Amino acid sequence: MSQQGQDAKFFQRGKIEEFRAELHAAETKDKKFVKRKTVLKKIVANITMGTDMSPLFPDVVQCLGTPLLEIKKMVYLFLVSYGRSKPDQIHLVIPNFLQDCNDRNPLIRALAIRTMSYIPIPVVTEALSDNLRHALKDRDPYVRKTAAICVAKLYSADPRKAERGGFVELLRDLMLDSNATVVANAVAALSEIGDRQDGVIFKLNLATANKLLAAIPESSEWGQIYILDSLLRYVPEKHADAEIMAERIIVQLQHGNSAVILTTIKALLYLMNYMENRQLIDYICKKMGPPLVTLLSSGPEVQYVALRNILLIIQRRPTVLKNDVRVFFCKYNDPIYIKLAKLEIMYRLARAENAKEVLAELQEYASEVDLDFVRKAVRSIGRLAIKVEAAADDCIQALLDLIDTKVTYVVQEAVIVIKDIFRRYPGKYEGIIPNLCENLDALDEPEAKASMIWILGQYANIIDNADELLDDLCYTFLEESTEVQLALLTAAVKLFVYKSKADKAKELVHKVLKWATEEADNPDLRDRGFMYWRMLAINPTVAGEIVLSEKPPITTDSDRMDRGALDQLLLHTGTLGSIYHKNPETFIRNAAGKALKDSPALNAHSRAVLIPLARTQLPPMAPIVVPGPGPTEPQAQSSPVAPLPPSKSDNADLLAPQVQPQSGPTSQDPDDTLHDQYEADDDEPPPTRQASDLDPYSNLGNAFGNYLADEPQPMTSRRHADEDELLF
Amino acid sequence: MGLDGIIILDNNGRPIIQSGFRSSTTVYPLLHIDAVNNALEKAERPADVDPVLYIPNTTDVSSACCHVQAGDLRFLCPVSGDVDPLLAFAFLQTFIDILREYLGTVSAATLRDNFDIVYQLFEETLDVGGHPLTTYPNALRDIVIPPSLMNKLLSVTGTNFNSTINSGFGAGAAAGPFSSPIPWRKTGVRYNNNEIYFDIVEHLKAIVNKNGVTLSSNVHGKIEANAKLSGTPDCSLSFTNPQVLYDCALHPCIRLLRWNRDKVLSFVPPDGRFTLMDYTYSSQSPNSPLPTSPNVALPFVIKPNIELEDSGGSFDVTLTSRYSTHALENVVAELHLGQGAGGIRCSVSRGSGGGGFINAAESRNSGSSGGSNRASWSFDAQRMILRWEIQIVPPSSSWSLHGSFVTANRAPRPSHAIRVCFDISSHTYSALKVGQLKVTNAKENYKPYKGVRGRSSGEVEWRW
Repeated sequence: MSQQGQDAKFFQRGKIEEFRAELHAAETKDKKFVKRKTVLKKIVANITMGTDMSPLFPDVVQCLGTPLLEIKKMVYLFLVSYGRSKPDQIHLVIPNFLQDCNDRNPLIRALAIRTMSYIPIPVVTEALSDNLRHALKDRDPYVRKTAAICVAKLYSADPRKAERGGFVELLRDLMLDSNATVVANAVAALSEIGDRQDGVIFKLNLATANKLLAAIPESSEWGQIYILDSLLRYVPEKHADAEIMAERIIVQLQHGNSAVILTTIKALLYLMNYMENRQLIDYICKKMGPPLVTLLSSGPEVQYVALRNILLIIQRRPTVLKNDVRVFFCKYNDPIYIKLAKLEIMYRLARAENAKEVLAELQEYASEVDLDFVRKAVRSIGRLAIKVEAAADDCIQALLDLIDTKVTYVVQEAVIVIKDIFRRYPGKYEGIIPNLCENLDALDEPEAKASMIWILGQYANIIDNADELLDDLCYTFLEESTEVQLALLTAAVKLFVYKSKADKAKELVHKVLKWATEEADNPDLRDRGFMYWRMLAINPTVAGEIVLSEKPPITTDSDRMDRGALDQLLLHTGTLGSIYHKNPETFIRNAAGKALKDSPALNAHSRAVLIPLARTQLPPMAPIVVPGPGPTEPQAQSSPVAPLPPSKSDNADLLAPQVQPQSGPTSQDPDDTLHDQYEADDDEPPPTRQASDLDPYSNLGNAFGNYLADEPQPMTSRRHADEDELLF
Repeated sequence: MGLDGIIILDNNGRPIIQSGFRSSTTVYPLLHIDAVNNALEKAERPADVDPVLYIPNTTDVSSACCHVQAGDLRFLCPVSGDVDPLLAFAFLQTFIDILREYLGTVSAATLRDNFDIVYQLFEETLDVGGHPLTTYPNALRDIVIPPSLMNKLLSVTGTNFNSTINSGFGAGAAAGPFSSPIPWRKTGVRYNNNEIYFDIVEHLKAIVNKNGVTLSSNVHGKIEANAKLSGTPDCSLSFTNPQVLYDCALHPCIRLLRWNRDKVLSFVPPDGRFTLMDYTYSSQSPNSPLPTSPNVALPFVIKPNIELEDSGGSFDVTLTSRYSTHALENVVAELHLGQGAGGIRCSVSRGSGGGGFINAAESRNSGSSGGSNRASWSFDAQRMILRWEIQIVPPSSSWSLHGSFVTANRAPRPSHAIRVCFDISSHTYSALKVGQLKVTNAKENYKPYKGVRGRSSGEVEWRW
C-alpha cells in the first residue's frame, strides 16, 4: 500500500509493459488486493496525464472480478476512458456488467448502469436497455436517479431506439417519483432530450408543473435549478395559473445558492409575460431587486454574471432596482470587467432625480488611472447629457473641466461626445467651441479628430478662424485615415457654402476636392469628392441646402434593445446568452433557441412583438409529447442559425448594414419617449414594427457594452456611419 | 444545460487534473487551457481577465470558459450549451469546498497526493452530461471515503472494512447511501459531547466621497454554524431583533414557511460546518427600499491631506476611531501611488486618544518597511501600493501617516482613493441578538453546549 502523500510519484510516466507485468504479478499473493490497487492507481494517474493506456485493456478488465469497490471504480474509470475505442473487445466485459447490474449493493448497480451508458457501442447499448428499464424502477433512489440521467445518454446514442423502448415515458413517470432527487434528475434528463435538435418535445402541463414545484423543497440545489428551469416549458393558459405559480416560487429568492436565485428570477420574468395583475407584477419586481443586489456581495465572477443580467432585466422591467443606482458605484480596485458593467447600469438607471450623483461618480472615474475605464466614463458623461436634459448643463461643465486637464485621451473622448451633445441640443452650447479649438493639437485619434473637424465645418459660420484651422488640419490630408479625410472633405465644402466669397475657403475646397478625386486611393473618398464637386458646379445654392440641411434629432434610443428581442433574451436569463447579450443558438454549439409561446394568457404587448423561432423541416415523425393530458402543440423545434460569433470588436457590426427598429412615432422630445416607453411596460399599444422583424438582432451587437457601439445615432435608419453628411 | 467538465491548473497554467470530457474531442479542454493562459498573460492584473471567457473555435462552433482562482490553483469549467455560468461558478465553489473538506488545504501538492480521491469526486459530483450530482458532504462521504487519519490507520492494519463490498457501508450508514430521509444529514450520527456553535459574521462595504460623505454602505452578514449533535436534532433559533435582517438567503434545511411566518429559524442541521443564512443588514423598516442609503456609521474617520506636485507628492493621513468600546484590528490602509512612483519617505505615528503613545521610527527607501510593532508601512513596488498597517486601533485613538513620494514621469497619478480593511472582534454592526435556541430530539435526551459569537470586518473606499 502506498503511503499517503507519496501518490505524486505515480505521475511519473510508466511503461505499458511494466504495468502489464505488475498486474500479472498481482494476480497471486495479493493480500487485500493492495498490489492491484497500486498498479491501477498508477494506470489511472497516467490516464490523467493523457498517456494512452488502452493497450492494457484486456489486462485491466481482468481485475473487474475483484470484490473491492475501490478497484471496481478504477476499472470502470478505465472502461469509460477506453471502452469506446475497443468495440472488438468490449464484449469481454459484458458479463461483468450484467452481474454488477444485479449486485445487492445499490452503489455498484448504479455504477454499472452509469458506466455502460457512457460507452455508446451497440453491444453495450443492447445490454444496457433491459437493465436500465429495471434500474428506473429500482427500489433504491440512488439507482433510480442515476438511471434517469443514463436515459439521456442512451437517447443521444440512438434517439429513435430509446423512444421505441419506451424510455421517454418511463422518465415521465419518474417525474412523479416520491424522491425529490429522482424527480429533479428525470427533469434534467428530459430537458437534455428536449433541447436536442432531434429530440422529442418536452412540455409541461399545469398538473405536472405543480407536482414538480412540490418537489422543490426537498431537492438539492442543483435539482431545484433543473426544476425551476423546466418551468419555462410550461405555457400558462390563464393569467391566474401564471400568477399562482409565481407566488409559489418566489420564496426561492431566499435561497443561498446564486444559481438558484438567478434561475428563479428567470422563471419569474417568464411567468410575468403571462400575468395580468399589475399589483402582483410590481410586487415581484420589488422582490427581485434585493437578491440581485445580494449577488453583488459575492466573488467578482458571480458579480459579473449578475451585472450583465441586471443590465438586461432593468431594460425590460425598469422598476427593478430603480432607486438603487448607488449599489453600482465602482470601487477603484474592482476588476475592469466589473467596472465597465457597472458603468453601463449606472447610465441606464440615471434619471433626472439621480443625475447629480451619477454625474459626480462619473467625474470621479474620469480621474482614474485605467485608460479604458476613463474613456468610457467620459463618454458616459456625454451620454448622460443626451439622455437626461435636466443634467445637460452640469454635464457640459464637467466635460469642460475635463478638457482643462489636458490629459490627451480625456480631451479626445470629451470632444467626441460634445459633438453629439451639439446635435442633441442645437443652438444651446455652441458657445464652448473656442474651448474646444484650443485643444486642437491634442487630438491624434481619428475619431476625435473627425469629430472636431465636423464641429469646425458645421459651425464654420460662427468660428471666425475656421478657415485657418481647417487649412492647418489639411496639411496632413493625404496621410490621414479615411475617417478624417472624409470629415475634412465635408467640412471644407461646408466652409465654402458658408463663406463662398472668401478666397481662402475657395482655395481650400479646391485643394481638398482635387486631392480627394485625384490622389486618394479610397473609392468612397473619391466618389464623395466627385459628388460634391459636381453639386457645387451645377448649383451651389442647392448644394448648400443639401450639405447643411437640418439634421435629424439625435437620441440614445438606438442603444436600447428591441422589446421582442429583449423578451426572448430574458428567457436565457443567467445563461451565456445573457452574458453576451446574444441569443445563444447564434454563437454556441448545442444551444437551442427559445421563444415566448403564444397562449391566451400572453399579454398583448408581448404578443405583438413575438419573435417566432426559425424552424427547420425535420424528417417527418410522429411527435411524442411528454406529459399526458396537456394541450399538445405542433412541432416547434429550432434550428441553428448560421453561427455568428459575438463580435468583441464592433467594427464588423458597424460596417454591416444596420436596420434600426423604429418604434413609435418620432417625437419632438425623443428623450422622454425613450425613457418612458417601457416604464409602463404592458399597457402600451404595440409599437409598429418594420422590416427589422426579419432579424431582430441586427442591432444587438451595436446595442451593448462595446466601446464604439454606444455612440448615439440619429433616429432614422442609417446605412453607413460615415455617410450622414452626404445623405442628409 | 450542462457543464462540460472541470480542469484544474497549477499556478504556472499547467493542468494538474481534469475530469472526463468524454462527450467532446481531446483538443477541447486544451483549447480552453490555452485560451485562459493567453488571457492571463495579456492582462495587466490576473483579476482583470473576463471570468466568462469566450472561446472562439475555428473548426467547431464556439464555447465559453468560466474560471476562478483558489489558492495557487485555477479551476476551469468549460461550457458549450446554453448554460448558466452561475451554475458553473456555484458548482466550482461547491467543488472547492468539498475538496477543502476532504483534503484540508487545497493546493497543487495536496491534489497531486490525492488525485484518486479527486477523480472519484469528479465522478460523483459531476455527471458526464454535465449535471451536478451529489454535493452534500454528508452524502458524499458515504460514496467517496475521505483520506482521513482513520482510514489511513485502517488500511495499514488491513481492516478497510468500509470499502469491502460484503461488509456493507460501515457502522454509521448501515442502511446504505441516500437512505437518509434528509438529503443533507445522514442517519446515525453520534457524538460524546453534543455542541452547536453559531458565528455571526458581518462585512461592511462602503464608499466615502472626498467630502467625507458616505455615498453607499451596506452590511452583508452570514451565520456560520458548526453542529456536532447526535441523532436527528431539530433546532429552532429565534432572535430578539429579527427586523434588522433584510433579504435573507437561507440554507435549504431551514423551513421557509416557519421563517416567513414567525421569523424563527427552524431546521434539522447538517452535520458539521455549514452556512445557516446570509442576510443584508437594514436599520430601516422592512418595507422601505433597499438599505443602500447610508445607514451604518463607519467605525473611523480619515482625514486625507494629499498634495500632488509636478513630480511627486506628499501626504498626511490621519485615521481616528469613532468607536468608544471596540478596538479595530488588523487595519490595513492602501494607497495606490500610480506608475513610476518611488522614493517613498514615510513615518507613522500615533496621535492622541486611547492612552499610551507610540512614536514610530522613520525609514526610507521603497520596499523597506518602518514603524513600531503596532503600526508600520511598506511599499509594494510591483503593484505601486503603499500599505499602512496598524495592528490594533484602540477606541477613540488616532493614528497618522506622514510622508512623500516622487514619480519618475512628470505628473503623479495616484488613485484618488484609500482602501481600508479592518476587523472587529466580538461586535456586529446590526447588533443582531439570538433570543433563544432550542434543540429538541425525539429519541435521545441530551443538553447540548450552545455558543454564539459575533465578528465583523469591513472594506471602505475613502476618496480624496
